[in-house]
Order: sequence, then structure tokens, then C-alpha cells
Amino acid sequence: MPAKRVLVTGATTPLGLEVIRQLLDDPAIEHVLAVGREPAGALPIAASDRFSYEQVDLRRSRERRALLFGVVRARGIDAILHGALHRSAQLSGRKVHELNVEATRELLHLAERHPTIERFVFRSSAAVYTIVGDKPSIIDEEHPLNLTPAAPQWIRDRVEADLTVCTYIGLSRLRIAVLRCAECLAPKTGSQIYDYLQSQVCLRPLGFDPMLNLISLADAARAQALALRSDEQGIFNIPGADTLPLSRVIARSGRIAVPMPEPLLGPLYRLRSATIGTDFRYDLNHWRFHFSGVLDGRRAAARLGYRPEAPLVWPS
Amino acid sequence: MSRTPTLASRLAAHARARLPAPWRDQIDRLRYDDAGHGFDALGLHPDTIAVGAQALRWLYERYFRVVSHGIENIPAAGPAILASNHGGGLPFDGMMIYLDVLRNSAPPRVVRPILDHFVPGLPFVSTFFARVGSIGGSRGNVRYALEQGELLLVFPEGTEGIGKPIWKRYQLQEWRVGHAELAIRYRAPVVPVAVIGAEEQLPQIGRIEGVHVLGIPYLPILATPLPLPVRFHIHYGAPIDLPALYTAEDADDPEKVAAAAALVKEAVAGLIRRGLDEREGIFR
Repeated sequence: MPAKRVLVTGATTPLGLEVIRQLLDDPAIEHVLAVGREPAGALPIAASDRFSYEQVDLRRSRERRALLFGVVRARGIDAILHGALHRSAQLSGRKVHELNVEATRELLHLAERHPTIERFVFRSSAAVYTIVGDKPSIIDEEHPLNLTPAAPQWIRDRVEADLTVCTYIGLSRLRIAVLRCAECLAPKTGSQIYDYLQSQVCLRPLGFDPMLNLISLADAARAQALALRSDEQGIFNIPGADTLPLSRVIARSGRIAVPMPEPLLGPLYRLRSATIGTDFRYDLNHWRFHFSGVLDGRRAAARLGYRPEAPLVWPS
Repeated sequence: MSRTPTLASRLAAHARARLPAPWRDQIDRLRYDDAGHGFDALGLHPDTIAVGAQALRWLYERYFRVVSHGIENIPAAGPAILASNHGGGLPFDGMMIYLDVLRNSAPPRVVRPILDHFVPGLPFVSTFFARVGSIGGSRGNVRYALEQGELLLVFPEGTEGIGKPIWKRYQLQEWRVGHAELAIRYRAPVVPVAVIGAEEQLPQIGRIEGVHVLGIPYLPILATPLPLPVRFHIHYGAPIDLPALYTAEDADDPEKVAAAAALVKEAVAGLIRRGLDEREGIFR
């Protein structure tokens, strides 16, 4: 049964906003309840009988419980679209983990015994997959996840949250879909590539030019809206319309690519972060700057009806 | 496509302009699954194919003077696997099969060679190989390529084939069965191929084990510093329709897979015998 009354977490990000707009454009959606940490008025959408906003800090267990058994129950919400993840790769620690993983885990627990919620859609990301030279560069949903113990918390949290939701699929009364989205090249979405491209000069490993797949806000939001309309359960890769080498990403963004010996890149980008305060971490991107990783979206096409349609708008 | 003329795009335009018309026409008519920016999802890029063809065609036309036999046996469309003997120290056999199919297949097709697992880790080489259509040897990529209807090239002898000493030339080494399993599972015919000449081009008289420069499995000891200008004869045999002989479920039966691989091996061995009988000398 398609969702009619939807709770959207992570609503104050550009992606959250685009999802809300697309949901509100669908007359079958009766109500969208958006939540975020920012005060009311953070979203440029006026409250109405089809839209409301709640300021909630999902890092706090009490607020999560109050949300689900308060306003969510009162409004008869039947689906959760959970996409609230900490965006900064430079921050780590307990509070970050609380939002990335514990909020996801508890929202699932609460939703399972909730009187009105039937559908749970989790917006995961392609960052959960491991990318190395001897694994496929075309990544389907059975591709190995990045379970390297030495992986930064940014990765470990995403993998743990994703697996937490995956373990419920088929065992819970909820109909669960996990969407592993390609990287959305947009600000405030946690995109490492977006931050990487903020420099006029982009350093890349000498001798390597891997294929990347990037998704637009419009396509990422459409995939989530389609998942809410569908009853399909499982894990779905959500690729974007743009598949191109790293060098072309840099060129299309109007930046200058400077290939450099690989050992220099980590120290130089750490220096950049320390001096300019940027979010890009080379250690997060080391492997995918060497080896290709392109999402195979055939399952989402067959079962959710999702195919990428909206290419990125590159600087002219 | 990028509006920024990069060094690579200028190089590609220059190479394309210098290619003789028959080569250029073949590359212009190549069908590939453009993922949106002139590349396919595995990294193939026709402009780079033009660069590679322009850079290497003298090897094909002048140095090894390749003679093609039976190119019409390559299916015009759909998935297929070329299975060839392998030898000669350096993979000129793969390169010449690639150029021969590019130059002579009708309609033009591009061969997707399956690379050894260490190649994606080699700087520059990995990028160039990906752009001209090579595929990293992981199973997922091979499956994807077959499902997309690509023409794969495999050397079932693997590194034992290319590293065979000169006195074992044209003796097929341990014949791996992966190509037969893939052909059965993904319903692709196998075209047997014999490359005559390649196994004498760079005589190997020994090898140093345990030295793994850039992941390469051994260091060869070669009798000549450069490849000899032997003539290559490439023979394509009639396609072996393994999907007609086996069901997809048979791909899980090791005995049936081994029997299918033996069929292919025998076909390649037969082509080698014929090719050796027909040639008039290693330089002719």
C-alpha cells in the first residue's frame, strides 16, 4: 500500500527539502511531517494541513520517543523516510554515532511497535561499499561492504546503520527498503566530492582515473518518493545519471586537475583541512580515487521503477 | 561531453584525424553503451580507442604483419567469449587479437579483454586498458559485461601460458575452466582462437620467482631484448554453442564445466595445429 502520511528526517538538508517538495507535489500524499534540529522556519515551506515541521534532536532518545508516540501517532503517520546522518566527515565521537546509528536503531525499534507506522525507508549511501582493485567496479547490492576495522567513523557509522536496518528486512512486520544512493553532488549533503571540488586546483593520484557515478538532488529525491509509493522490501542501489572519470568530474566543474604521486595527497589534504577547515578527507576517498565504483541500479529499475533521469547541472 | 579541450581530448582528435579511413570508420561505427559522458560504465572511451589504434597499428600492420583468418566466425551481436592460446612473455597476442577484431569485424565490435587481478593496481596501464575496453578480472565485472552483450577475450592458460618457456611453445598449459562456466551460465557462445607467431616473439628461457614488481607474478628471463618481428596469424574457429549443449544450471556442475572447457581446448588445439601446418615460416 503506498504511503500517504510520511515522516521525513533530515528534512533541513537540500536533499530533505527536495524530497518534501516532490512528496507534496503528489496529490496522493496526505501529509508530510518534517523533522530537523533547526527551529521552525528553517524550511521555506509554510505549514499547512498537508505539511508540518517539528524541531527534534534525534540524538536524544527521549525526543525520539516523544516524536513517535506524540505527533507521529497523532497525525497517523504510516511511513518513515529516515535520512538523518551527520554530514561532516571531520567530526566524530559519541554524539555523531548517536545520530548516525543509535537514532536509526531506535527509530526502527519504536516503529515496530508503533500503531500507525507500516513502512520504513532508509536512505543509506554508496559509501558503505568497499572499493578495491580486485572487486567488481560495477557494484550490485551483494557487493562487499567496507568493514575494515581501520575505516574512519564516518564510514563505520554508515555501514553499521545500514546493516542495522538490513537485519530487520523480512523479519519485521514493517516493510523496509534500504536505498544505497550514489553521491549527491550538492552542498550540505555530506558529499565529499562536492567539498573536494571547492578548490580551484584538485589533486588526484598520478596514473589513476577511476569511474565515478554521481546523482542529482532531483533523482535522489525521486528515488525516495518512489520507494515510499512502493511496497517493495530489500536493498536497492540508486545510481545517478552521470557516470564519468574523476578527471572529467574535475574538468566539468571548471577546476584544474593536478595529478600527483599518491603518497603526497594525504598530507596535502590534511594540511588543507587544518588551514582552511574543509570537510574533504583523502583517507575516506583513497581507494575510490584509484579504482572505479559505479552502482548497478537494475534492481531499483525493475522493482521500484527508478531510473536516473536528471543529469547534474555542471557550471557552464 | 566536456567543453574544456583537455590535453587528452586534443590528443584524441589528433590521433583520430591521422587514422586511415578504414580504421576510423570502424571506430566511428562501434556500438557501446554510453553512460552519458562518452564513456561506458566500465570506462571504455572510443576516443582513447582511436589513440590506441593510431599508436599501435604499426605493430599490427608493419611489425607483426597480422594475417586474419575466419573473422566472420565472430558473432555480429550479443555476448560471446573468445578463448585463445597465450604465450610470448608479453601480451602482444591479446593486443593483436584486439586490433584485428577492431579492424576487421563486421559490424565492428570491440573486444573486452579480461585482465589479471593485479592490472587494475598498475598506474597509467590500468587507466589506458580500461579506456580501450579491458575489464578487471573480478567476477562481477565479467558477469556484467556478458549481460550487456559484450565480446570478451580470455586466455584460459593464464599467467602459466604467457610465462611458458620457448620449448613449450604451442603446448597448451593447464586449461582453466572459468570461461566455460561463464559461457554456460550467461548463455554465450565460445569462439576458439589460435594465435600463431606470438609464442615465438619473445623467447623466454627462464624466470625469477618471488619478485613481484607492481604485483607482476614473476620476472621473465628473455633470450632477446625486444620482440622478434614474427608474423602473426590469427585463426578464429567456428563458435562453440555451449548454451545449446548445456543448461544454465549445468554451470554449477564441475564435471560438465570441465567437459565444456575440454571441448574449447580441443578446438583451440586443432586451430593451432592447422595454423602451424599452414604457415611457411615464423617470419612469413
